[in-house]
Amino acid sequence: MRASIQWLRELTGLELSVPELAEKLTSIGLEVDAIEHFDAPAHVVVGEIRSKEKHPDKDRLSIVRVFDGEKEETVICGAPNVPEPGGHILFARVGASLLLEDGTRLDIAERTIAGVASRGMICSETELRIGSGSAGIFVFEDEPGDAPVPAAGTPLAEALPVGDTVFEIGLTPNRPDCLGHIGIARDVAAIYGQTFEMPAVKAPARVAPGVAGVVPESAERRELAWEGESEETAVDAAGLGPFAVEIADASRCPRYGAAFVLGGKVQKSPFWLRNRLHVLGLRPRSNLVDVTNYVMLETGHPLHGFDLETLRGRKILVRTAIEGETMTTLDDEERTLSADDLLICDGEGPVAIAGVMGGEDSEIGDTTRHVAIECAYFDPRSIRRTSRRLGMHTDASHRFERGVDPNDVPYVLARTAALMAELGGGVALAEGIDAYPAAIAAERIVLRHERVEALLGFSIPAATVRSCLERIGCVMKGDSERLEVYAPTWRPDLHIEEDLIEEVVRIHGYEHVPALVPAIRPSRSGSPLRSSFERRVKEAAASVGLYEAISYAFVSPAELRKARASEDVVKLANPLSEERSVMRTSLLPGLASAARQALRRQAPGVRLFEVGRTTHPRDGQLPEERETLAIFLAGAAHGPDGNTWIGGERAYDFYDLKGFVESVVDGITGRRVALAPEAGVPPWAHPRRVGSIELDGRRIGVAAELHPEVGEAFELEDVRGQLALIDLDVLRTLVGDMDPPRAPELPRVPAVVRDIALVVAREHTAGSIAEVLGEGGGALVESVTLFDLYEGKGVPEGRRSLAFRIVYRDPESTLTDKVVDKAHAKAAKAAKERFQAELR
Amino acid sequence: MSEALEKFRAGLSEIEGAYRPALEAAAEENALREARARFTGPSGALTELMKGMKDVPGPSRRELGQACNALKTAIQSLFDARLEALEKAALQAELEGPALDLTLPGRRPLPGRLHPITRAEYDLLDIFGSMGFEVARGPEIDTFARCFTQLGFPPDHPATDEHDTFYVTGGGEGDDAHVLRTHTSTMQIREMSRREAPLAVVSPGKVFRRDDDATHSPMFHQLEGFLVDEGITFAHLQGMLTVFLERFFGGGIEVRFRASYFPFVEPGAEVDVRRKAEHGGDPGPWMEILGCGMIHPTVLKNVGYDPEKVSGFAFGMGVDRIAMVRHGVPNIKALYENDQRFLSAF
Repeated sequence: MRASIQWLRELTGLELSVPELAEKLTSIGLEVDAIEHFDAPAHVVVGEIRSKEKHPDKDRLSIVRVFDGEKEETVICGAPNVPEPGGHILFARVGASLLLEDGTRLDIAERTIAGVASRGMICSETELRIGSGSAGIFVFEDEPGDAPVPAAGTPLAEALPVGDTVFEIGLTPNRPDCLGHIGIARDVAAIYGQTFEMPAVKAPARVAPGVAGVVPESAERRELAWEGESEETAVDAAGLGPFAVEIADASRCPRYGAAFVLGGKVQKSPFWLRNRLHVLGLRPRSNLVDVTNYVMLETGHPLHGFDLETLRGRKILVRTAIEGETMTTLDDEERTLSADDLLICDGEGPVAIAGVMGGEDSEIGDTTRHVAIECAYFDPRSIRRTSRRLGMHTDASHRFERGVDPNDVPYVLARTAALMAELGGGVALAEGIDAYPAAIAAERIVLRHERVEALLGFSIPAATVRSCLERIGCVMKGDSERLEVYAPTWRPDLHIEEDLIEEVVRIHGYEHVPALVPAIRPSRSGSPLRSSFERRVKEAAASVGLYEAISYAFVSPAELRKARASEDVVKLANPLSEERSVMRTSLLPGLASAARQALRRQAPGVRLFEVGRTTHPRDGQLPEERETLAIFLAGAAHGPDGNTWIGGERAYDFYDLKGFVESVVDGITGRRVALAPEAGVPPWAHPRRVGSIELDGRRIGVAAELHPEVGEAFELEDVRGQLALIDLDVLRTLVGDMDPPRAPELPRVPAVVRDIALVVAREHTAGSIAEVLGEGGGALVESVTLFDLYEGKGVPEGRRSLAFRIVYRDPESTLTDKVVDKAHAKAAKAAKERFQAELR
Repeated sequence: MSEALEKFRAGLSEIEGAYRPALEAAAEENALREARARFTGPSGALTELMKGMKDVPGPSRRELGQACNALKTAIQSLFDARLEALEKAALQAELEGPALDLTLPGRRPLPGRLHPITRAEYDLLDIFGSMGFEVARGPEIDTFARCFTQLGFPPDHPATDEHDTFYVTGGGEGDDAHVLRTHTSTMQIREMSRREAPLAVVSPGKVFRRDDDATHSPMFHQLEGFLVDEGITFAHLQGMLTVFLERFFGGGIEVRFRASYFPFVEPGAEVDVRRKAEHGGDPGPWMEILGCGMIHPTVLKNVGYDPEKVSGFAFGMGVDRIAMVRHGVPNIKALYENDQRFLSAF
């Protein structure tokens, strides 16, 4: 909502400093997001045309002599509407600096245009930012009304009512009253300790008495209330009445009012009105239309003007649409309507979508003489549904769906009719129509003083409470301990005691609330484990050298297909794009895409982890969200030193992945995982480079090299992506059941270390050989560790050489060589016999 | 005198004369060891000489044996002295020699990093944890009821405009529809519905809105907090959040509470912070940090609490925004691109 400070000053009678007001409005919930200044530029004065002639060569240019009150200047002007000598225009002298709409400045200096020295510029409203949309330069003699033309040399700021500051207020949706200046002015008055008074509606100059045959004799006739005297005059309303209003759906349209102005003339609005609409961001059109917009910006209540002569059957019918019914709105679009949409119809068909937009045929045009002004109250929910369904967000729908004041209809009608008659030279009818089948009354809310203090936490005098509520327009009865408050109908957000308490503290000032710190009583039903577990996982992964990624939880079906992930998905019913249209069932797509990006951007290698959820449909319940730790490696593996000036580069392989998995799970649990053959190889995995991750015999996840075709699908063809997925829900349960690690007994006697190298057939795993060595070596074997693996030259085809380090220890006594030799020989023998191993 | 005896004596005196220059000429340890070996090694001159002892007539053997041993000892002690001198010289040379090239890269353990959002989240959790709040996490997909209706959002109301919602398949109609939660406030309903007051909970997590432009990401992170007990007031809200903000931003900040609107609180407020003016300078610009308010009585009733008996406050903040402010991240999209160069920077 744009708010004119000048207008707020007029409405409140307060001086209002701009920075202070901005701060105060922001503090009471009317947040000022931006401030725009519309100052009259200096060195712009009224100029009088002394002569004009066509440029000898350039048809479109005139050579004009302008008197600026001091001297005559020669100016080249390209506008088509330079007036004849004696006419008055706005003249920017040399030295003026004009701020243009695009934010740049135009400095006026002497310059030669088409061979003629030009000193100064004859300006349009747009160039001076005092108006918009005007064709050509501003000419005083072309202005409506009979105000005297100011003398040449009068500065712009004195010649015209210009100069304003506009606040862009980010309104919260609970404050429809502040979608008009009166509502904002009421809050402004309140924070300056005053009670706002509605401005009186000045009577129009000429009023037609009675109903002039237009308004029928009915209970719905209503006299318009004006202050001051008007001249009574007769009007020719032949064929315009009697005009009927019928509401067929009173729940969607509780109130429909109409007023009439006859015999007006469409022309441009006076400058002050055009300028005000301009600074508030609306484009002026013509006097009759501009008035409806002006009163909307004043009261917050949208209006619609119909060309009375185009309304067929001399009636307005408010009804819901027939499913599939169409009408053309004034933006020239044909709209197809549903049975939930509310229409304004004349005797033959729809003329407007209620509260949203009017129709083309009945709008006020250049030849309109007689106007019917609509001021109604529509059910906010109904307008919102229609505007959402049709994708039409208008100034009117914006206000109606937030809730306008149903009870300001007579005021708004009187105001609009008077202003329209005044500016259009027409005659207002003294009575209008007001169909209000079910009156909407102010809500009664009981406010207990004790509750105010209990909720706010500090004591506040009853008089302050009363004064705050009075200033925002509440009417009160009863005593201070138990106030009966009648909330004004322009505040549809006030329903309960707490709403009033907020109003009290809002107007009183949030800065007066003391900052007290309560004691927190620990809850006996809390369970902090879940979060700290997630944190242990992430910190373990980061501590071993992985970067944490966070990917979008939604992906495209194509990506899931590429990842060979489950396509039993939870779909978004209203995705923003196909790219993000289903909830992920795997963390693979996000990490593989990140890896591809990193490698494209010349990262040598990628080492990422993500802790995130995958989503899986469940019948009749919310989907299942499984929490997963994913580790992804690809590209060049760095040495443990993180750089490569010592040692060469190699690519990450499966054993890097295994190492990361071991370290991370160790970091979380303090235990070693084992890899076992995976029973059901996941389709994304390389069938020969995959293992299930087991902890204490329970499967907690899977580690694998990507299937080459999957890698290729993600454009990772030059690298071998390595992915581990660990089910954190399973791991969390295991960790929860685990006893804390026991303190080990540390041996006090030295160990004896022996190495053994064996050449065995490839099919025997290192793990099985180590196991046999351990068993063969007997009770003295403390550990068996592989330290070298070789195949190739010197080793027969189909076999490989494995070197193990065996640590022997007797916890009770120091071992002798003789004892160790014996055990080591047994270990070697066991391996030889079991695997036909050859000792090297 | 036998010839053998003569020869032995000559050999002995030759070694006596030779070993000192030889050992003293050795400039480093290996040469020194070699020099010694030439005399006392397995095939050294002295060793060889002593092998000829058997040829020496008996009476002289004792005397010559003693002389040989004395020579051996002398060689060894010269060796020891020389070795020590050489070691000292080597140490001296190292201490006075060229310094290391300090610019060669260090051998670092692999660096890993938590995502800046995670870091911000953990910092927030640490502070709230230290103040007595426990942590709860909930599902990212929830019912329309828990996301809106039970929080008191009026139906067909523009208050939901800022919560442009993703619906997912599999849910029912209206309240039973399944949505990607638009805020972590769903956790107010979830936690309060299953537990009794007193209750002090913070809940971080992912949230989703149908908004994708330069300043909006369709997925982002929030942290919700709420405290419900007997006698909790609006003044407590201001006190508690002021303590939090001072701990999070350190001292030297000003905190401003101003009126705002969220359907599930009343009164509602928005909280801004700025750096205090220092040394007569200007204060920093106000930054919007969080939204908060007293939990709406409708919400308390919806979870089965009696608003006349208990009251509470709730607050919510954007974790992404906090991470962005803290690290100077200009564009929210950067948080979700997972560019390793970006991720390694924090």
